[in-house]
Amino acid sequence: MELTTNIPNLESMSECSIKPYDSIYLGMPYCWEYEGNLITGGDDLASAIELLHIMEKKAYVTTFAVPRNRDLKRVFRVIDVAAEISDGIEASNLGVIRYITKEYPDVKVIAGGLANIYTDSTAELLYSIGVSRIVPAYELSIEDIEKIKETGVEVEIVVHGKIPVGVGHECFLKKFSSEVGKDCPNICREEMFFRSEDLVLKPFGHATLSGKDICMYEHIEKLRFSDAFRIEAVTERIGYREKVGRIYRHLIENGFSRSEFEELKSISENGFANGYYFNRAGQIYIPG
Amino acid sequence: MATISTGQGRSTFRGDGMVELLGPGGSLEMIEAVFRAGADSVYAGVLGWSRRSKKYEMSDEDLGKAVKIAHDHGGMLRAAINAMLKPGEEKMYIEKLDTLYSMEIDAVILNDIGLMRITRERHPDLKIVASIGASILNKDEAMLYREAGADMFVADCKMSLDEMVEIKKYTGLGVEVLIHANTDFTYLGRCWMSSYKSLKYETIDDKAYYIGSPNRGGVCFRPCLLGWKLCGEKVYASDFRLPNDMFLMLDEIPEMIDRGVDCLKIQGREYSVPLIHDLVRLYRNFIDDYIERGGVDMEAYRAELDAIAEKRDSERLRRTLELMRAARVERSEV
Repeated sequence: MELTTNIPNLESMSECSIKPYDSIYLGMPYCWEYEGNLITGGDDLASAIELLHIMEKKAYVTTFAVPRNRDLKRVFRVIDVAAEISDGIEASNLGVIRYITKEYPDVKVIAGGLANIYTDSTAELLYSIGVSRIVPAYELSIEDIEKIKETGVEVEIVVHGKIPVGVGHECFLKKFSSEVGKDCPNICREEMFFRSEDLVLKPFGHATLSGKDICMYEHIEKLRFSDAFRIEAVTERIGYREKVGRIYRHLIENGFSRSEFEELKSISENGFANGYYFNRAGQIYIPG
Repeated sequence: MATISTGQGRSTFRGDGMVELLGPGGSLEMIEAVFRAGADSVYAGVLGWSRRSKKYEMSDEDLGKAVKIAHDHGGMLRAAINAMLKPGEEKMYIEKLDTLYSMEIDAVILNDIGLMRITRERHPDLKIVASIGASILNKDEAMLYREAGADMFVADCKMSLDEMVEIKKYTGLGVEVLIHANTDFTYLGRCWMSSYKSLKYETIDDKAYYIGSPNRGGVCFRPCLLGWKLCGEKVYASDFRLPNDMFLMLDEIPEMIDRGVDCLKIQGREYSVPLIHDLVRLYRNFIDDYIERGGVDMEAYRAELDAIAEKRDSERLRRTLELMRAARVERSEV
């Protein structure tokens, strides 16, 4: 079982935080302007990949999640570099996926969660054009993901962290620069949430994330059919990535630990959720 | 791969190169009214398979009647089958598709690219429209949909006319633009806030239903329209809404026609029949005036449109309140 996570920039990389993982996705897919974002390529990306390879970790490069026509050239430019030096490329836009599979048929392509892959028909289509792995649409239940897996494509499942619940054409958080007293790119370094009734959401770049942490710690055995477990931590601090990764590494290798589950709870600001995996509202938590 | 009919540089389904006016079909009565008001075509949701509540979808029997109404008026009917299926329902989809095809529907509106490929292979002569729910964002993405079988795509509401034209030129796909709809702060097919808040799952005759998930065919509970706060170390802002705005286009339409937009779509299956009738009639007159005379009295049309918009806003507010109440109790039918 491959344990993966994501890191937005070189500054967020530390040996401790990477240690529990087998593979790392490099780059922040929700915002071009994020400081030091590895999706913009450059020397930082090459350094990050080199560091991961020294640590015998796989280095996947992620791409901007919602590119318009004007963005394609710079997305493709980074792909042209990443195809040579990384172990795979993640894309959530079908146009970007088309480009990679046509130009670099030998590169491992991972279709991200924002690619909106709901059906086995689409999984089959993408598999047939060269996509190796799919992160299924976040709304899918465990039984739905099992069906996707039956097509032969690898599946990677988010087992912990904040998932997107929406993505748009601009950063909505920037509109609050004067109220917060910070502007881009510093405003998203603050821990801030949208709250209304029972809902908590985390705005971040073009994306709006679940305010709660998706948590499948108590249900991990039901997901053993998958090929990889992902800790979504691209908007989190280094300490989060390290602690959550260590706890899931122990879970995979040694089984359930009540004390580590309690530690996970203590890290989460707004509690747990996992409802989608059980055909329930996403923000609900179904205990094991 | 299917070919698209092109007339005067357009891939319009009308076949005569003129821009197509597409209206909503929330009921048989609405379909009749939409054609009487001058629409070229109408779209209707297949019961249990489109991005709307069952209240505004149609049974196979009614769809058959709808096709007859459309063809009697010399128009076309598009069947919206644009909810994302539950994996494993593909066989059920093929049976439904074959039924629709035998009814002689003119086109299907699809969201899922995998189903597009199946549809194209099974019925090469059936027109396929890539739904707005597909959230096609760029020309390379559009090209993949084209390769999977799409003939036309619905442009996202945030897309500029330049972008649409660039995509059309690059792919050969027809362009459909929403001239009456709403635009959210997310891309339409990339929002799960409603089902994150509230979701009811049920199966009827082995078909899955997801009330609260618009991507999977249920209603959207519109949580973006709740009162929100931005909280961090303190409350930075309160009682704001996340953007979700209705729009009615007018000034932009002449340039769209001139630059080759193929279809102008009026959304609104859930609105009243008189309101939709008036809206379609206004746009029909506007388009005809512009094409025949090369100019229109914008002020007169704008005044008429403003009056319709007031009625529309009132109907929408009632519906939003109904949906918000439903979200709190997970009601199964709204």
